[in-house]
Amino acid sequence: MSLRQLLLRLPGYFGASAPPRRLWWSPSLDTIFSVVSWRGQSSRSPAHWNQVVSEAEKIVGYPTSFMSLRCLLSDELSNIAMQVRKLVGTQHPLLTTARGLVHDSQNNLQLRGLVVLLISKAAGPSSVDASCQNYDMVSGIYSCQRSLAEITELIHTALLVHRGIVNLNELQSSDGPLKDMQFGNKIAILSGDFLLANACNGLALLQNTKVVELLASALMDLVQGVYHENSTSAKENRITDDIGISTWKEQTFLSHGALLAKSCQAAMELAKHDAEVQDMAFQYGKHMAMSHKINSDLQPFIKEKTSDSLTFNLNSAPVVLHQEFLGRDLWIKQIGEAQEKGRLDYAKLMCFSCYKGQSGHTGTSEHILNGKFYLYINLEFAQSTFARNNQSWQRCDFSY
Amino acid sequence: MASRWWRWRHGCSWRPEARSLGPGCPGRAGPSGPRAAAAAAAAAAADVTRAQVSYFNLVKSLTSAFPIMYSISRFHHTTPAACCCSKTRSGERYTDPFKLGWRDLKGLYEDIRKELFISTTELKEMSEYYFDGKGKAFRPIIVVLMARACNIHHNNSRDMQASQRAIALIAEMIHTASLVHDDIIDDASSRRGKHTVNKIWGEKKAVLAGDLILSAASMALARIGNTTVISILTQVIEDLVRGEFLQLGSKENENERFAHYLEKTFKKTASLIANSCKAVSVLGCPDPVVHDIAYQYGKNVGIAFQLIDDVLDFTSCSDQMGKPTSADLKLGLATGPVLFACQQFPEMNAMIMRRFSLPGDVDRARQYVLQSDGVQQTTYLAQRYSHEAVREISKLRPSPEREALIQLSEIVLTRDK
Repeated sequence: MSLRQLLLRLPGYFGASAPPRRLWWSPSLDTIFSVVSWRGQSSRSPAHWNQVVSEAEKIVGYPTSFMSLRCLLSDELSNIAMQVRKLVGTQHPLLTTARGLVHDSQNNLQLRGLVVLLISKAAGPSSVDASCQNYDMVSGIYSCQRSLAEITELIHTALLVHRGIVNLNELQSSDGPLKDMQFGNKIAILSGDFLLANACNGLALLQNTKVVELLASALMDLVQGVYHENSTSAKENRITDDIGISTWKEQTFLSHGALLAKSCQAAMELAKHDAEVQDMAFQYGKHMAMSHKINSDLQPFIKEKTSDSLTFNLNSAPVVLHQEFLGRDLWIKQIGEAQEKGRLDYAKLMCFSCYKGQSGHTGTSEHILNGKFYLYINLEFAQSTFARNNQSWQRCDFSY
Repeated sequence: MASRWWRWRHGCSWRPEARSLGPGCPGRAGPSGPRAAAAAAAAAAADVTRAQVSYFNLVKSLTSAFPIMYSISRFHHTTPAACCCSKTRSGERYTDPFKLGWRDLKGLYEDIRKELFISTTELKEMSEYYFDGKGKAFRPIIVVLMARACNIHHNNSRDMQASQRAIALIAEMIHTASLVHDDIIDDASSRRGKHTVNKIWGEKKAVLAGDLILSAASMALARIGNTTVISILTQVIEDLVRGEFLQLGSKENENERFAHYLEKTFKKTASLIANSCKAVSVLGCPDPVVHDIAYQYGKNVGIAFQLIDDVLDFTSCSDQMGKPTSADLKLGLATGPVLFACQQFPEMNAMIMRRFSLPGDVDRARQYVLQSDGVQQTTYLAQRYSHEAVREISKLRPSPEREALIQLSEIVLTRDK
């Protein structure tokens, strides 16, 4: 599989992980879909995804290690591992995060690092820099770009760990003893800080102040995005903020897009590519990440089983679009209908949001269409960006 | 090693009447008295952590640099530092170092708040919470004074570069970010006389505020555009985390325990001061000798500062400190005064090992410390670090800022909050 195909396929994969279950496609959407699926060579089973990832890893030479070896061998990490073991049996969310990092292949994809490596390879060395090629390069990727991929993963994981801090004054009796939770918080902060310190260290070693600034601003964006996500999910039983899709896009860029976008840009900066190429890489990373997020937002709506109310989020893209389409008043009315004894009936709300046959809620399926549409716009953009990149990088060798 | 250990024990069994022997008493074999105790403790520390020899090397030079023994009571203060710097002062009149430093720091907190360009109001409020102008701004003051002292030393320049002032901002920001996280780790409820961020907004949000301040500091650092400076200050971030990890563990061996304590003190407090001093010297002067002077000054002042902080945890009342006292004991931490007191009251060992977790442990340990010479010996150790700082900074060309830095290293010893 060529590198070009892969970069095109990666975002294409997010088109849907299950086949669309209803024929509510408009002809124009259908065309877009077929374009994407043609490009992405269709067949989007999880097994296929794993194949795409393993192909990608082969192309970049060796897979992104979760953390570099020196980091794994450090005293602090074994200390963390020891402390985390003490948490076993408690309810602290750090355990789930840690387990996810070790076992769960879904969370352990290190997608961000992989994308940074792929785009580094696709861009290759810049013509400007042809004179001084004394960097060491493995499989067409500079070692500094590999470090960058690692740093991207470190920052992402650090925030994942810090996200799992619990508020001690809001604990329920079901959460177990306060002491356990205090201890869990302590370890979560320390291990998150440890990952961030490693990221800072790696950044300093890159000896490029522009890259440091880019990644620091990505961290700032990410923190703001996570903060916003936390504060909206905290009040899950209340009605969502009246945000339009443009606000949603801004917030989602902060929490999901900024890190990948800026890392892709930084990878270009490290290979001394010019501003235009850097901007393309930025756009690719941004739209790639946005597609990823929209796809996961869509899952509860396109899966056969809709009983899984836990994954339903009032701030997901389809709901926001639905609310924008309906108008604020109608939406509040619908939420009111779905409310039972002060509790939201997610299944019912899902029915409202999700078109079911001829139930008369005209236009309720529209948001899904919109969501899909928006997703494909993003995909198209990501792919066309890459295609443009490709033209300017024709001299790169894609014969893998 | 064994004899050294014995000497430490021996030195620590020092009784008040030993003071009357006076310095340099003829016929006295071997080191004795509190100075020897502190020196031996530090020497033992040096043995254990030979890998980090650089921090502890100063012990040797200290012993030769200050052969005279001084009264060590911090309550009637005739500090040796005062005697020492009167020699180096060359008759120049100096002003209050804080006033001198503030001349370059006008608008410090406004400028820091400008670095935190955040759209969400609550997040902005949280991040700006400690930049209210009520802190001591101890770190920024040292940084700007050091910057000017280095500039004058280098080419008699009376200017300070904008990038050097930026380091002062960054140092304060890194410090504040670590405070926010430390308060969550320790579950602290008050600092600087007000509630902590985690008590007002909850832990979940507070941790993000800390991360945000750190990212803003990193951006400001990157904008200076000097990769050496970035590496120097990145070291601080790493040290802060490692220091926190050291605090998590404890050593069973008493020798190792002291080394562990000094290493933790360096990483959690002194590294920031040392490395930001080094950073401004790198920006102001190309001579590596000057960089090392700046670093050594910052390191020694920083350790002295923290040792006194640990003493104040026992001697000060909470109104003065703006945070509760005996806080370290409550967190299960054995600081300098406790480690020294343990030499006189070996029964404290068990309490240290169980991190003062049994009911009544904290109060009993506090009583033991106040009865022992732990407070005096820690203060003495702090004085030695302070002297070393003065010795280092005195290598620079004289300037009002250099004198202010000398004065500052004394103020560190006499502060009561």
